[in-house]
Amino acid sequence: MQNEKLFDRIDYIRFKNITKKYGSSFAIEDLDLGIEGGELLILIGPSGSGKTTTLRTINRMIEQDSGSVTINEIDTRELDPVRLRRNMGYVIQNIGLFPHMTIAENIGLVPKLGGWDKKKIEDRVRYLLDFVSLPPDMFMDRYPRQLSGGQQQRVGLARAMAMDPPLLLMDEPFGALDPILRKQLQKEFLKIKKEIGKTIVFVTHDIEEALILGDRIAIMNQAKLVQVGTPEELIFNPVNEMVASIVDTDRKFKHMDTLKVKDLMSIFEDRYMIDASLNACDAVDKMTRSDVETVFVFKDGEVLGQIRMMDLMKCKEENIKVEELARPVKSFKPLDSVAFALSDMKKSGEYLSLVMNSSKPVGILVSDEVLLKLI
Amino acid sequence: MVAIETVLDATMEHIVLVYTTLLISIVISIPLAFLSLYSKKLAFLVMKFANMVQAVPSFAVVAIMVPLIGIGFTPAVIAIMLRALLPIIKNTYIGLSNIDPALIDYAEGVGLSQWQIHRHIRLPNAYPAIFAGIKFAAILANSIAVLTAYIGSGGLGEIIFQGLIGYNTKTLLIGAIPAIVLAILIEISFTAMEKRLTPTHMKE
Amino acid sequence: MTLIQVIAEVWDKNLMTMRTIEHLQMFSIALLLSIIIGVGVGVYIYSRPKIANTVLNLLNIVETIPDLALIVVLLPVLRLGAGPAIAASVLYSILPIARNTYTGLKGVDEEYTYVAHALGLSPRETLFKVRIPMSLPLVVGGIRIALVFCMGVITLGGLVAGGGLGTVLQNGIQLYQKDAILIAGIWTGLLAVILDAFAGIIEKKLHQRYGTW
Repeated sequence: MQNEKLFDRIDYIRFKNITKKYGSSFAIEDLDLGIEGGELLILIGPSGSGKTTTLRTINRMIEQDSGSVTINEIDTRELDPVRLRRNMGYVIQNIGLFPHMTIAENIGLVPKLGGWDKKKIEDRVRYLLDFVSLPPDMFMDRYPRQLSGGQQQRVGLARAMAMDPPLLLMDEPFGALDPILRKQLQKEFLKIKKEIGKTIVFVTHDIEEALILGDRIAIMNQAKLVQVGTPEELIFNPVNEMVASIVDTDRKFKHMDTLKVKDLMSIFEDRYMIDASLNACDAVDKMTRSDVETVFVFKDGEVLGQIRMMDLMKCKEENIKVEELARPVKSFKPLDSVAFALSDMKKSGEYLSLVMNSSKPVGILVSDEVLLKLI
Repeated sequence: MVAIETVLDATMEHIVLVYTTLLISIVISIPLAFLSLYSKKLAFLVMKFANMVQAVPSFAVVAIMVPLIGIGFTPAVIAIMLRALLPIIKNTYIGLSNIDPALIDYAEGVGLSQWQIHRHIRLPNAYPAIFAGIKFAAILANSIAVLTAYIGSGGLGEIIFQGLIGYNTKTLLIGAIPAIVLAILIEISFTAMEKRLTPTHMKE
Repeated sequence: MTLIQVIAEVWDKNLMTMRTIEHLQMFSIALLLSIIIGVGVGVYIYSRPKIANTVLNLLNIVETIPDLALIVVLLPVLRLGAGPAIAASVLYSILPIARNTYTGLKGVDEEYTYVAHALGLSPRETLFKVRIPMSLPLVVGGIRIALVFCMGVITLGGLVAGGGLGTVLQNGIQLYQKDAILIAGIWTGLLAVILDAFAGIIEKKLHQRYGTW
């Protein structure tokens, strides 16, 4: 009964006059909002704006004082909350993987409670780990604390998709990651999103993330919905000053032509550097510990190229050195123009490049989807 | 039937046995705990030994006194001490070492002597832990003192053992109930003292 | 006579193999009952937080009663034999297990129970799949304390005709047989220390396995 599917697909989610108060202050005030099936809707706003509260009314982790949330015309209050939650995936910032369960057990928990047989659970877990680019044989039997932050977040996503829910709720899923890793995961998530075609409600406070991922963005402030629309609508037709200032972070977009690589790059750190003679499996361990997914291969102070964790995953079978796996990497100078660098990267399909000052690495430039859209 | 006087005498003997042992245990343990602060090796040994002896059944400790020392009051005191020393040392050591090192650095920086640091900083900080150790030791001593009657220490246990010989329920209870009352009194009085001695800033 | 011969003779004369088996039997029954009741009480007071402190305080008073006195008080009801020693062991052991279970269940980070609810686990499933397993290291810590209590109290069983190694110690003292006391005393102590160390290893393993705290 609890495991029966409530809906095969989402046609429409509707918030109608939702109000939630804590004491005398509003967490959400009279919210009206519709979400189309298959879209990714971003909820964004400063802390205390009501974005997370809004998300949580969908799976009834928070009950509104008045108003209704309907999914495909069904009022969620008519549904058993346990059953409702099993019909949607949920990913949060601290991930919350259970420390006493292996990765496979974490992902397979809800299917197991749903009475699936062992074989079916294992197949599903393998499929999902593959899907989030974690080789199943390597990760299934590990415990969460043996994974890097980025890997844990992937597992969090896999767990949310365990029951193949038509709806995903994501509460700042990439919020705790460092900027480079965050961009990498966003990029991957963008790809996944196209493949799975699910309806996604996504909370963030990072406007760039919102502009990159969102089909539509709902801007909230002080418990109220301020404006909802596509990224272009918000950038070109903001309803007020507040929206304009949120959307145009650092006035970056208006002055794009004058931006230099050094204005956008992240500072280079030693953990992004790996020695060419390192064995591939040791490299995986090192990268897991320092929580990075891409590193640059150096030999005697010279850059040989870049390498992604994913390229190293088969290390057990092949036993090779990172040197042999390094792929070429683009590099720019700090004073190069951003527009030039980004379009150059886009042409060759790269999303990471090194910033070199003479022969010394000083920064990492990550491709910026929003800027690319506007170039 | 046991005469009232017999019960009173036995209770007195019991109390003397318990508190003599407790006093000796405190006098030995606290300096030993301070010494352990200066030697990691000693601390390690004391802790290991404390944990191990805590696992040994009391009756085995009491019984072994007979071939090693003999019977009577002194072997009883030693048997009880073996069990009561360790919780006090352990708790005192934990209390003394469980202090913010920055505070000690600061105290040294402003020119306090080692003695002054011990007296005015480490010790007050450790009071609750030390006291908990002493309370635990007192309850343990009260419990083992019943057993030591079997090796001739006298006290309330003696009445119990008399009762066991003829299986006389009345005699048994006359021995057991005062021992239980004493235990509860220890618990209540020590808890009250604990509350008064705990520095105000450490109270919940 | 060599030392080994002396030990062998004392061992045989005092039927120590049989006494050890008796000892371990009483001990196992006592510990098993303690675990069942202790965890039960712990889970129960966790679900009734209003009475939790009262129950723990009551158990704490039981804890202060001298062990032999407790056995003696139980005698009129349970008669001579293993019964009173086992019952007293259990009475002592409920507190450490119940308290640790209660603390463990309460101590599970809200984050995990929140996630469990959000994933669609019912309160019951959350208890059995998340709260209980996550408090396991603490529960086992409580069981380890209980193990020591049970060993200690069971040894008193000999004084109330319960058998076990306590009987050998008792006879030794009564007949003033130094060898018997020494051997039985050391053996009883060793047995307890070994079992405690074994439990310690399990506890450590669990801490490593469940790692985060």
